[in-house]
Amino acid sequence: MVFQTSPEIGGMGHPIKRKEDLRFLQGKGNYVDDVQLPEMVYGHMVRSPYAHARLKSVNTEKAKQLPGVLAVITGEDLAKSNLAWMPTLFFDKQMVLATGKVLFQAQEVAFVVAEDQYTAADAAELVEVDYEELPVLVDPHKALDPASPILREDREEKSNHIFHWEVGDKAATDKAFEDAAVKAQVHAVFQRCHPAPLETCGCVADFNTATSRLTIYLTSQAPHAHRTLFALVGGIPENNIRVIAPDIGGGFGNKVPIYPGYVCAVVASLTLGRPVKWIETRSENLQSTGFARDYHMTAELAATKDGKIQAMRVKTLADHGAFNAAAQPTKFPAGLFSVCTGAYDYPAAFCEVDGVYTNKAPGGIAYRCSFRVTEAAYLIERAVDVLALELKVDPVELRRKNFIPPEKFPYKSPLGWSYDSGDYDAAMKLALDTVGYDALRKEQQEKRKKGELMGIGISSFVEAVGAGPAHTFDIAGIKMFDSCEIRVHPTGKAMCRMGTKSQGQGHETTYAQIVAQELGIPAADVTVEEGDTDTAPYGLGTYASRSTPVSGAATAMAARKIRDKAKKLAAHLLECSEEDLDWEPGKFFVKGAPSKSKTIQDIAFAAYTNMPAGMEPGLEAVDYYDPPNLTFPFGTYICVVDIDKGTGEVKVRRFVAVDDCGNIINPMIVEGQIHGGLTEGLAIAFMQQIDYDENGNVQGGSFMDYLLPTAVETPNWETGKTCTPSPHHPFGAKGVGESPNVGSPAAFVNAVVDALSHLGVKHIDMPIAPWKVWNILQEKGVVN
Amino acid sequence: MQIEKTFQVKEPIEQVWNLLSDPRRVATCVPGASITEQVDEKTYKGAISVRVGPSTTDYKGQLQIVRLDPENHEIEILGKGQDVRGRGSASMKMTGKLRSLENGGTEVTSVSEVNVVGILAQMGSRVITEVSNIMFGQFTRNFQAQLHQPADAPSAEVKPVSAASVAWAAAKGAFHRDS
Repeated sequence: MVFQTSPEIGGMGHPIKRKEDLRFLQGKGNYVDDVQLPEMVYGHMVRSPYAHARLKSVNTEKAKQLPGVLAVITGEDLAKSNLAWMPTLFFDKQMVLATGKVLFQAQEVAFVVAEDQYTAADAAELVEVDYEELPVLVDPHKALDPASPILREDREEKSNHIFHWEVGDKAATDKAFEDAAVKAQVHAVFQRCHPAPLETCGCVADFNTATSRLTIYLTSQAPHAHRTLFALVGGIPENNIRVIAPDIGGGFGNKVPIYPGYVCAVVASLTLGRPVKWIETRSENLQSTGFARDYHMTAELAATKDGKIQAMRVKTLADHGAFNAAAQPTKFPAGLFSVCTGAYDYPAAFCEVDGVYTNKAPGGIAYRCSFRVTEAAYLIERAVDVLALELKVDPVELRRKNFIPPEKFPYKSPLGWSYDSGDYDAAMKLALDTVGYDALRKEQQEKRKKGELMGIGISSFVEAVGAGPAHTFDIAGIKMFDSCEIRVHPTGKAMCRMGTKSQGQGHETTYAQIVAQELGIPAADVTVEEGDTDTAPYGLGTYASRSTPVSGAATAMAARKIRDKAKKLAAHLLECSEEDLDWEPGKFFVKGAPSKSKTIQDIAFAAYTNMPAGMEPGLEAVDYYDPPNLTFPFGTYICVVDIDKGTGEVKVRRFVAVDDCGNIINPMIVEGQIHGGLTEGLAIAFMQQIDYDENGNVQGGSFMDYLLPTAVETPNWETGKTCTPSPHHPFGAKGVGESPNVGSPAAFVNAVVDALSHLGVKHIDMPIAPWKVWNILQEKGVVN
Repeated sequence: MQIEKTFQVKEPIEQVWNLLSDPRRVATCVPGASITEQVDEKTYKGAISVRVGPSTTDYKGQLQIVRLDPENHEIEILGKGQDVRGRGSASMKMTGKLRSLENGGTEVTSVSEVNVVGILAQMGSRVITEVSNIMFGQFTRNFQAQLHQPADAPSAEVKPVSAASVAWAAAKGAFHRDS
């Protein structure tokens, strides 16, 4: 159990209001587009209307003649400095500005810089590009057809195939399927979707010709990694680059990659010697920046007659678009997708993934997800429901029969993961009790007799979040540790600087609470600063639920280093030996004489005013934390839906979410994260898709077609929790921000399929829009 | 996308053919379209403005009479246009055919193969069929009006369909289908 600090200290477990919200709610946040610099000019991107076309000529003369235009940069211009292409985060390269041909609609073709953004936009329309249309490849299943065009002429390998990746024991898995009494199979597409953060991507690049320093204000979830990449790719000395990620209006993985617009703004600033601002429009964000998912999956489960799962077999086609820009640890071409065996205990599994190129925007980012864990959780939770249909058993009963039992942790999964801790049945039981499962099943039977459609969907997901450890995980070669530096000031107040970067997660509050817990300095007295590479210690940034598991751990470790020194100071002040001292958050006291004590504030003052002879002054520490393992949060979600037969509309009547993320830092923030993630999951399940027509035109490239949930669509979320601490984390916490987005899509889909299962429906692909349900009802003769 | 349309007029076939085989006059019937230049006997330069939802797209391009068969009263036209702001293109292959009716009137049938790439295809994909229905409805009315005018009468300026009327008519079209 975690020591309960007083509300004044506000350590772990206190639902402290978020410190950062005051400025956000008052409109006093400082986002990239708020940055105003003297002499600043504006960039605008010219983009391809074609999904696949030869670039015959790019004529910039008319655009350059427009008054106010300062420069028009083309791919040919960049090629002269060897910058027409840049490396992606996954061993591929992508065009900064097109040369030769364009490979997706909205691809970057030229960059116009002007005195104001309206002139830049007008001039962009004057850039004359001559295209010759080429045959378009949209369907990933046709990528390897000999008749399909080869998209990437720059690659040696003349094929649209990017990678084949497999893991598991194929022979044992095939054998289990041969012997299986019952088999279930599901083809499930996790559609291409997009995080669509409130703030689009953008930057201000400011090259100072006098100092030769380049400052980049950037919508960046990983400022340090981006600084290093700018140095490696651009050849600028890293000490001369300062990346500042100011307030960020939502990232969700969208702000992990480096985009062509950033590079163009940097090039323009280097060329002009003036600050250049480039901010994406909403449609540019949806159409050209990192998409998520687009996994076309087949899962099979083998089971005994009485419902014990024996093996899982998975085959997946991954559509990566025109360039493989997946933001993933380099040893994992399909991310952590192999966590797809789920919360269940069985010996054999085999999983293979093939990645292909198509004429679509590049990406493959981890949208509120630890690298393809969402796809994995969705797949296993759908497959288990299909198996329950085959076995004609209740999906809850099937899950409970196959859960990994608590005593088997740490649990070695058949695809090689070591789950740290879990009690899956406890979360399931709480969810069942909360929702009143048995009564709901009775109600469903009654309703079916009357011809009404009601469904109950269950999802018992497991996640793998918080990368490193460094021996396994790296981004572009940089190991996935993270960091915290704490400075305790003479008056006992503290400053924390982090390698991570909040995009709305509430870091300024939660990291302060960790310091409060470890040192007893009130959370209100701890300032947390992130995002400035000149001041913060090096770290890999915030995504894949890694801030609490990695930087949170670093915070605790740095605080403990400070506490060790504070103990020496306390012994000096109390004139006793260290062994005679006891600690409770906020003070050291002499064992057996609690009145003889020194507060952390007394000690901090002494660190600068009255340190013992030979002791280094000051009270600060830095920690670079390399976690020994991932953390494996889990939970059970139960969704109850009613379907309107007249319109095909699905109404979510209830949604119970029981999460287990180990020890909690701030329960209010955790609940907020869960509400947000469930709402995004709802949108993915019912509303969102970046689709393409046969010519490669984006269907879903604006908020007219890519729908965001509002309060109208969003049901009341009922949350609950169990607590199974992570055994290897310094304070037993696990990541949580992504759980609701990982776990909920299967719950929604399972509920809709459950409502229609008596009609023979086994699967419906997301997004489950009313027309899809209505068509099924027509087809099954439910309505006419 | 293939669009097939048929309508009837009371004028005799030769009078209708005179109009249909003259691209300059037919163009004035298309909402938002104009012929700007005749390149040669069979090739014209022109422009068309199409407004769907929030976006207006101005195409400039060429119109070519691929086949003109006065005996069978058939015409095949190929149109290709680029968005003047570089945001896409559209092409159309239209086959028009006339048939005499027993009442002395004429039936006009057109089969168009339309291919749209770029901003219009992105933003307007859901309403593009309805927009063509509306445009075709206006075309039919303008065509009939043209039939009553002498060939050399000055043509009225034709404006593109307005966004509001498209949205409203498209909504009506979507919710009140006959089938």
